[in-house]
Order: sequence, then C-alpha cells, then structure tokens
Amino acid sequence: MSARLQFEGISKEFPAVRALSDVSFSVGAGEIHGLLGENGAGKSTLLRILSGVYRPTAGSVLIDGKPVTLNTPVAARAAGVAMIHQELQQVPRLSVAQNMFLGHPLTRGGVFVARREQERRAAEALAAIDPTIDPAAPLGSLKVAQRQIVEIARALLDRARIVAMDEPTSSLTPSEFERLAEVIAGLARDGVAVVYVSHKLDEVFGICERATVMRDGVVVETVDLAQVSEKAVVSMMVGRELAQEQHRSHASPEIRLSVRGLASATKVRDVSFDLHRGEVLGVAGLVGSGRTELLRLLAGADRTSSGTMEIDGKAVKLSSPRDAIAAGIALVPEERKREGIVPLRSISSNMALASMGVFAPRGVIDHKRLKRVAAEKMKRVNLRPFLLDRPIRLFSGGNQQKAIIGRWLAAGTRILLFDEPTRGIDVGAKAEIYHLIEELAAEGHSVIVVSSELPEVIRLADRVLVMRDGTVAAELGRASLSEHAIAAHAIPQTEIETGKAQGHRAGA
Amino acid sequence: MTDITQHTAARPRADFLHRFSVRDAGTLIGLVVILVVFGALVPGFFAERNLINILQQSSINACLALGMTLVIISGGIDLSVGPTAALSAVISASMLVAGVPFPLAIAAGFAVGLVCGLLNGVLVAYVGLQPFIVTLGTLSTYRALALIYTGGNPVLGLPAGFRAIFNGSLFGLPLAVIIVAVVALIAWIILKKTPFGEYLLAVGGNEEAAYIAGVPIARTKIAAYMISGLLAALAAQILIGRLGAAEPILGNLWELDAIAAAAIGGASLMGGKGSVVGTILGAVILGSMRNGLTLMNVQSFYQLLATGLIILAAMLIDRVTRGRG
Repeated sequence: MSARLQFEGISKEFPAVRALSDVSFSVGAGEIHGLLGENGAGKSTLLRILSGVYRPTAGSVLIDGKPVTLNTPVAARAAGVAMIHQELQQVPRLSVAQNMFLGHPLTRGGVFVARREQERRAAEALAAIDPTIDPAAPLGSLKVAQRQIVEIARALLDRARIVAMDEPTSSLTPSEFERLAEVIAGLARDGVAVVYVSHKLDEVFGICERATVMRDGVVVETVDLAQVSEKAVVSMMVGRELAQEQHRSHASPEIRLSVRGLASATKVRDVSFDLHRGEVLGVAGLVGSGRTELLRLLAGADRTSSGTMEIDGKAVKLSSPRDAIAAGIALVPEERKREGIVPLRSISSNMALASMGVFAPRGVIDHKRLKRVAAEKMKRVNLRPFLLDRPIRLFSGGNQQKAIIGRWLAAGTRILLFDEPTRGIDVGAKAEIYHLIEELAAEGHSVIVVSSELPEVIRLADRVLVMRDGTVAAELGRASLSEHAIAAHAIPQTEIETGKAQGHRAGA
Repeated sequence: MTDITQHTAARPRADFLHRFSVRDAGTLIGLVVILVVFGALVPGFFAERNLINILQQSSINACLALGMTLVIISGGIDLSVGPTAALSAVISASMLVAGVPFPLAIAAGFAVGLVCGLLNGVLVAYVGLQPFIVTLGTLSTYRALALIYTGGNPVLGLPAGFRAIFNGSLFGLPLAVIIVAVVALIAWIILKKTPFGEYLLAVGGNEEAAYIAGVPIARTKIAAYMISGLLAALAAQILIGRLGAAEPILGNLWELDAIAAAAIGGASLMGGKGSVVGTILGAVILGSMRNGLTLMNVQSFYQLLATGLIILAAMLIDRVTRGRG
C-alpha cells in the first residue's frame, strides 16, 4: 500500500503548551483511516495542520511521498486536501452549486459568474453520490445529511486526493449514516485517502480498516481494527480502564410528574406518562419523532396546546422556563453552545444564572456565598480544570455540560430533562455524566433522558418510552429493553405496527 | 476549541487578569497617553480649572453612554437618546416656564425619558423588532414630537432657581460631574452586584441559553432601554440647567458619541460584554481630546477627524490584543 498521506514527526507548540508531539502515521490511497482520541488529544490540531490553518512547529506532511508546504487553506486545497468540518461551513441562502464553487466561482471572461455551468458541473459531481440533490436549490432547504454530501461532492470537484472528515455524523440518523458510509467507501474506491474523526467507536469500527489513537498530543498506537476490541481502543484513548457499570434502579413508587394528553401546535400529540421519584425515564425514537419538542414542552420553553401536567399531585401551568424552574423542572439542552452556556461568562456565573433569587435575597448578589456554592457544586460534578472564574467557552463540552448540571443542582431542581446528554462529549467525560445521572436519581431526583444512542438509553433508563410521529408508540420496562425492541417501535412500519400503536393509544 | 482550551489552561492567572481588568487598564493607558500629549502641546492643559472643565464637558456624554452601555450589553442599541433628551427637555422646560414647581417639572422630564425607553423596550422585547430599526424609528418620532410640541421654537427663560440646581458645585466639583459620578457608581453596582446585571450579560451573551436558564428576557431588555431613556432625560436636565433654555433640536448626534464612549470602553456591539469603568474612561477620552484640540485652536473639521480616528484606533487595538488564538 503506497502512503498517500504521511505525517512525519509533527509537533505543534502554542505558547506554554505543546499540543502535538512527534506525531507520525500514514494513510494509504484508498484507505479509510480512523483518528480517535478524547477532546484535547490533538485531533483537531492535526486536522488544522493538514488543512493549512496551522503550521507545524516541527515535522512535515508528505503527500504521495513528497513533502508539501501547507501554509494556508488555499495551499492545502491546491495540494489536494479537502476538509469536511463538523459544523458545516456553508452559506444556507446560496444554492448548492454556488456553495460548491464558493471562493473560486466559474466565470465568463473573469467577470460574470457562469451559473449554468456551475450547476452543470455540480450536478455531475453529485450524480455519482446523490442524484436527488438539485444543484439549483438553496442549500438551506437541504437536510444536514444532504449538506454533508454536498461538501463531499465539493471535494470531488476539487479532485481531492485526501479527504479529512471531522465528526461528520454527529447529527445524522442511522439510515443517513448508512448512506454516508457508502459515499465514503466510494471515495476510497477511487483512491482517495480518507481521515475519519469520530467519537462514535462503532462507526469507526464499521467503516475504517485502521485507526490511529491519540492521547495528550501523542500517538498511542495505530491499530488494525480487525485485531482489537472496542474496549481496548477506549482504554487507549482514556489511558485507563473504564469500569463497565451495572444498571441499578432507584425509582420509588411515589409519582413526581404526571403528564396527560400533552400536545403542542406542531410536533407533539397526546403524550401521557408518569415519572417517579428517583426514576430515570429514557425517551427513544428517531430524529424528528418529537422527543426534543416533548422535552421543551415539559421545560416550559414551548407552549402546550392541550393536556395537563401535575408535579407532586399539583397541577402546574408552565408558560416559560422560568415557571418550570420555579416548579422544580429544568432542561439540560442538546445544543449546549446555542441553548446552554453564556460563553463569555465564567463557570460561576453560568451556574448561578438560574438561582439569582437565592444568591441575591435582598437585591444584591452575595458573591461570597455564590463562590462557596459554585465551589461545592462544581466539586460535586468534578469540573476540570477547577477554575470557577474562567469563561465557560474555554472548557470542553463535557465540562460545560457539568456546569449546566451544576446550575440545576444549585437551583434545587428535582426533575431534570436531559436532551442528548453526551452529544459531542468524549468517552471519559461521558462515563462521568452517566455516573452523575445515576447519582442524581439515587438522591431522589427524577430524570428524563432523550437520546439517539440506544446503548446510552439502555445503560441509563429504568423504563423507556419510544416515540414515533409525536406520540408515545410504546413503553418498555427494564426487562424487555433491547436495541432491537426500541428500534422495532421507533421505525414507522406496516399495518401490523400501526395497529399495535393505535391499540396502545386506545389503552392509555 | 481544543487548542484554546489547552492554550489557556497553562496560564489561568493571566487569563483571570485578562478577563477582569486588562481591557479597562488599556483604556486608562489610552487616556493617560492623550492627556500627556495634550499636556505637552497645550500650556495650561493641566490647570485644575481646565481638568474640571474636561470633566464637566464629558459629563453629559458620560451620562448617556452609561445607559447606552447597559443597552449594548443586552445585545441592543439605543439610537434615540438625543431626541429622548430633547423631548424630556422641552416638556420640563415649558412646565418650568409655566411656573410648575421644580421637583414636579424635573420628575415629568424623567417620566418622559422612562416612557420613551419603555416604548423602545416593548417594541424590541415583545414585538421582536430589531433594536437598530426600532430606535432609528423612534429617533425620528421623538424628535418630531419635540419639534411639534414647541412649534420648532426654543423654550426660553428658565427660572434662575432651577438653573442654580444644576450649575452649583460641591467640594469644588461641578454638581453635574458629581451627579454623573453617582450614576456611574450605581451603574457599576447594577452590573457587578445585582441579578439584573447578570441577566443583562446573559441576555446579550446568549439569549437562547438565558431563556432556558429562566432569565426574564423581556423584562431585562425593557429595563435596559428604560434606564437609557431615564439617563437621557437626566442629561437633558443638566444641559437645560446649564443653558437656561431648551431647544427641540438639542441632542443632535448624541447617540454617536455615547456609542463611541461605550465602544472605546470595551463594550461589544455583539452584546454580552461591556464595562462601566471603561465607558466613563471612554467619555473622558473623547472629552479631553475635544478640549485639547479646541485649546490648540484646531478647526472643528479636524476635531471630527480626530474623534473618528480615536474610535478606529481603539477598535484596532482591541482586535489585535484579543484576536489571538
């Protein structure tokens, strides 16, 4: 196998920090190579060097055996490197074709954009991977998965020899992932070297032959994935064995939250369930089945159109998150950056935001008390590094999540709603978040966990509601819980399933 | 993201300082440089009388800029401060001329400011219009109301007693300066020590997250605009006290100086960031520069040029010192 891409002794130093140290590995033409590691392991830095954003302090990048200088993103692109970012860097209002030619449009006489020609060439590139995408459609009208594919088509247009993908599937459904995997395999067949970064080990094991595991800026090992177990890879990533924990239920018979016939104007219809004290209730279902919308209704963030909610036997009417928090119910949102954190503010401020009444009983904030409580709660959630005055944006996703959980602990919340609690969080922090959720339940908090990752739901939940088309399609107890059972109810199916679902609804 | 995390982890101390005072220190250095330059060029610039003059000349802009800072931190902007001041001024003034007792006339002026701010706030927070457009609209509206109310004529002949209130001095400092200093102290306390201050920073820093965290978004924004309106009214009282008359066209382009002072002081027009200390320093920087250039008999065209350059220089320095990493 000839090495299409080779990293040779790459080091990158920032003032006071060595982000990469002597990183070497190679990726053959036609190989799909996984790049694994926790947040902060140096994967992103390495990709930025490959795509010309950073220059290495030492070492070199070789393409087809020749050293290349990748000083700017333009130079990297000219050398045949295409980068597909986690957060797509596209302009939603422009057409698919315009996006594919962004920055170097085809022109007539160097003045006018040759729109037709662009669309024709875009259609050619798309034909090979997804002919259903219309090059003239505004990019914003496409689903995330299709937008991902547009990025790949753009790489094809550029005749890229190396395609680097940073967490390409973080917002895709399983079937969309299948499609993407096919496209990636197609790239490899054409001799492209693919560097595939993902937190999802099962994906990496599914589509890559080899993977390089990084930790703290160095390569731990480049492994042949057919020869190692997922568990072994995880311990390489975190540098220790992660204990595989058994599920333990802390649910009591006492009903804390009772929901009947809850509906919203848009997505959710006729949802009824009870949540017990100390219970962890999982909510599974496909993206778009109304899970997030249900959580937002429960958290007071969106309006209900009908239905009732009772907390500890008392009817509550929630017209804002503020009401919900006062009633003891709060949301840990999926999109932390957008809905969770106030990026410029410190950990302490972010934690205290929901309990200002507690910290400022007479209108002026008691900063000493705030500091004390922040220290206590952040110790409880194991914030690292333990710097309470540091702006939250400088922390990793896992630690931001811990701070948000700390926020609700400080506010005395008794019902916690988690939407995708570990999205974008690395393996080590993931285990901590699981642990925390279990501890919260053991202390008598009631928890609802919405997750697309079935193993996560199964690991955490005492009971699972499966949602489909905005309503509860099935309720599964611990005994009947399996990925297969959840999937069977989550996927819209033939008349048999529909009959079952209706029977369930009639019974509820 | 990853790299920033690692990058700063190694020097938490520097990071801490950076967050809390380096920006204000930078503004202070800017002020010192300007003072030193004018001190060298203009004889008598450092005379006590002139320094007090500078403070007095800066006080009205500082007053407006404090309100502007709170609005900018909340993620908005208030272009209507000048006309708000004019409307407040002509209403107070006509009441004074009609013989209404001072406290009542002043209170009426404040009420006008609060109502103007309330309208801005409601249009932004409840109707959901963009702050720039809302206050651009009320800029014209409030100005028109002031002109219509007075028929375009100045209200002359304010009672001497009223003028004495705002022209007095205490401990050798003009009362206007002391009033604004007190306002600044209150604004500082609001921003640093009250839930409202935290809410402002959160709403401007990430409105969606603030909403989920239970922050009363609408109330917070409306309060910011009302404070801005109130401080515009206060500036109006100070000005008509000094002049003895109220013109419906007073306060033209005040909003620009106020925004400039806030921005020089470190407020981000993206919201979520700003400093009371910085804004005061920014107002004094602008005031000193005008005072110095006037003493040097520099044409007003060049004063305008200098103001523009100072703002751009401040923003460039901001960018260069913060833009790394």
